[in-house]
Amino acid sequence: MQTLDFNRLQETLYHEELPNGLQVFILPKKGFSKTYVSFTTKYGSIDNTFVPLGKKEKVRVPDGIAHFLEHKMFEKEDGDVFQKFGMNGASANAFTSFTRTAYLFSATENLYPNTELLLDFVQAPYFTEQTVEKEKGIIGQEITMYDDQPDWRAYFGAIENLYESHPVKIDIAGTVESIADITADHLYECYHTFYHPSNMLVFAVGAVDPEEMMEFIRTNQAAKTFDRPERIVREFPQEPANAAVAERSIEMDVSKPKVQFAVKLPYPDLSGIDALKHELSNEILLDLLFGRTSDFYTEAYEEGLIDESFGTEFTSETGFAFAVIGTDSKDPDKFAEKVRATLRSASEKFPFGQDALDRQLRRRTGLFLRALNSIEYIANQFTRYAFNGMNLFDTVPALEDLQVKDLQDALVPLADEQAWSVFEVLPASKGE
Amino acid sequence: MFTEYRLTEGVRLFVRRTTQFKTVTFSIRFRQTLTAAGASARAVLANILEDSNETHPSRAALRSALENMYGTLYYTDVGKRGDLHYVSFNAECVNDQLLEEDGVVDWTLKLLADSVLRPNMKDGKFKDPIFEREKQTVLERLSSLYDDKTRFAQQRLYELIRPDGPESIRATGDEEHVGSLSAKDVLDAYHRMITEDEVEIYVVGDVDPDSFAEKIKSAFSFDGRTPADMPQDPSERGGKTGRVSERQAMKQGKLLIGFRTPVLFGTEDFPKMQLANGIFGGFPHSKLFMNVREKESLAYYAASSYLSRYGLITVSSGVDPEQAEKASALIDEQLEAMKAGEISDLELDQTKAMLANQLREALDSARGQIEIFDQYKDLPGGFTPEGWIAKWEPVTKEDIRQMAGTIEKELVYLLSGKEESEDADA
Repeated sequence: MQTLDFNRLQETLYHEELPNGLQVFILPKKGFSKTYVSFTTKYGSIDNTFVPLGKKEKVRVPDGIAHFLEHKMFEKEDGDVFQKFGMNGASANAFTSFTRTAYLFSATENLYPNTELLLDFVQAPYFTEQTVEKEKGIIGQEITMYDDQPDWRAYFGAIENLYESHPVKIDIAGTVESIADITADHLYECYHTFYHPSNMLVFAVGAVDPEEMMEFIRTNQAAKTFDRPERIVREFPQEPANAAVAERSIEMDVSKPKVQFAVKLPYPDLSGIDALKHELSNEILLDLLFGRTSDFYTEAYEEGLIDESFGTEFTSETGFAFAVIGTDSKDPDKFAEKVRATLRSASEKFPFGQDALDRQLRRRTGLFLRALNSIEYIANQFTRYAFNGMNLFDTVPALEDLQVKDLQDALVPLADEQAWSVFEVLPASKGE
Repeated sequence: MFTEYRLTEGVRLFVRRTTQFKTVTFSIRFRQTLTAAGASARAVLANILEDSNETHPSRAALRSALENMYGTLYYTDVGKRGDLHYVSFNAECVNDQLLEEDGVVDWTLKLLADSVLRPNMKDGKFKDPIFEREKQTVLERLSSLYDDKTRFAQQRLYELIRPDGPESIRATGDEEHVGSLSAKDVLDAYHRMITEDEVEIYVVGDVDPDSFAEKIKSAFSFDGRTPADMPQDPSERGGKTGRVSERQAMKQGKLLIGFRTPVLFGTEDFPKMQLANGIFGGFPHSKLFMNVREKESLAYYAASSYLSRYGLITVSSGVDPEQAEKASALIDEQLEAMKAGEISDLELDQTKAMLANQLREALDSARGQIEIFDQYKDLPGGFTPEGWIAKWEPVTKEDIRQMAGTIEKELVYLLSGKEESEDADA
């Protein structure tokens, strides 16, 4: 077992790669009574075209299948996994993102029975045509619930605008129509390809003894047999640098328009501290241009173009990256114009110097230290970074390494007008 | 859990020393009786006091000072509990020990004192542009409820079943009251808050309680005040019963059901009712989730909440509007089963374990420690997590059956895009 000390953070991380390829990380936190354990596969909604394990030809599976699979993992021949976690007093959950599917629990008692339950239920698929059919009603209602959420529609509408054909534009849960095609065979095929231990990571954090926990997981894994790991072949379409659609809007029953200004960004082929620096540069640049201390924010707030819902987000995963700047706004067109003007003016003359960067570096250092209070944050963020070749605990050294030049470099793709897109959700014209 | 200091009549300080977190967390809470007019004025007030203060007289100036102090978090909030309304001032900063410089904790304490005691004023009044803008912001926050159909439906249920009670007053007030506020109304609300509200100050982090109490005492020199009355009996009902359906352009149906129970927060039966609600619909192993979702595939979510200060239990589910009646009947069946004593040992044990876990887990964040302690601290015997968990242990299936027996359905509310026939009284 490898021990990594982060003295300045007063944290120690334990790591081991097991013989079956599973990555295990453990971070004990003093003073906590709960332990949070997540078991994550590098498999998300975008992985819809791939060569199944042991086969030669690639397949294209129905949209929403990674999320569907996540739901179905909880049902076993002998009942519902939630019931078993309930008996152990653990609260269990799962989520599917563009690139990951995570299963997790948190518990203040019965740590090892719960850990065993987590490892075993994720490693024992059980799908029948009947249980698959039954789930379609439940997920259908989940999809409909999101369809009625204007914020979700605005966010996804913006992403849809950016991409010609990359599967990131497809809603994570798919559609009622696409999930209708899902069969138990599809689920097994996806499961066997993406749930191999060598494509997965366990993170345990909180009230946990690292030696004991590592030994427990080692023993659990050694008792199971897996196919020999193969490199997973995933296929993604080539995307142009330009946004696919420049402007689009839909109508919903909302009281105030919603607008998302989105920018399609190149995916940087970086790893390690360079990847981390790239991500931090983008986030800091968005804060400086549009954050609460920016001229943009002050003016837009005074003019009533933005309200408390305003926010920016930078997303970067293997294969795609984008930024969104969004708000509820009484005048979404004027808001979008102001964002454009801000980006144009910044690229004519870069407005930020060392002082501005220093202030953001102090802020980001504080935010990171504060975030380490949350064991859920640590487990989820660490896993996301690890799948993208980064280490969460390099955040402070990466910040210390940042230069104004890094922000200037980040501005270039952000200010590329061909990559811009606007999506609006407008109040429906009422007609009874 | 916390060391208590009585700073003056009606002003209490609670400090919890712990090395669990890398931060020091503060919360200062002002409370008074909840009214729609008061909540409206205090919502705008809270926004004004978050915007800026005398030392940092603009939003950008305050925000850049916070950034410079290692991203110290500062925000105000409004909330309600029973028939009390709260304005809170909240801050969280990195503990000095983790930084290469001292003074961040002291700076944060001063920021809070500035924000509470030395607002951004001109000639003793709030500045007009700030007042107007924040009033507008609160109005927009209120109207945005319409866009969140789940929350909108929940609020409609309260308004329908308790039209005149604190249940239906929102902590941010309402559009009518906020719209008619003058700058003077908000100034009056400020003075009343500072001089009349009961005050509770919380600090959680690696600080020495006694010396910190001295610091707080000198930073905030409040005069004594008489505490507000504690919550009384639940309000008169006088609301609608039976069924109400309303329409908006939407795909899913939001099904909300309101039930009443005489069992209130802090009574002897309260822990039993917490368990009864847990068995009914509090968790993924509960009757609602297992039957409405897992067995019948009618919904993605189906859960119940126990609003113990109001004697209310509400069930919330998102269903196909065509299936709303079926779902509603299925929900009734689950409650009927409990009334008939159809409760398994497994359900009871799971729910006890889950409630205990939920409570212990919540205490793993500084804010959770403050929230939970604050709710329970004034009950006779005080509060410890293990003491509370011990109250659930002896509860029996018969107790649960009795609790279920007190629950009566009042109203079924459906918000959907579906054309509805006449409302029918049950």
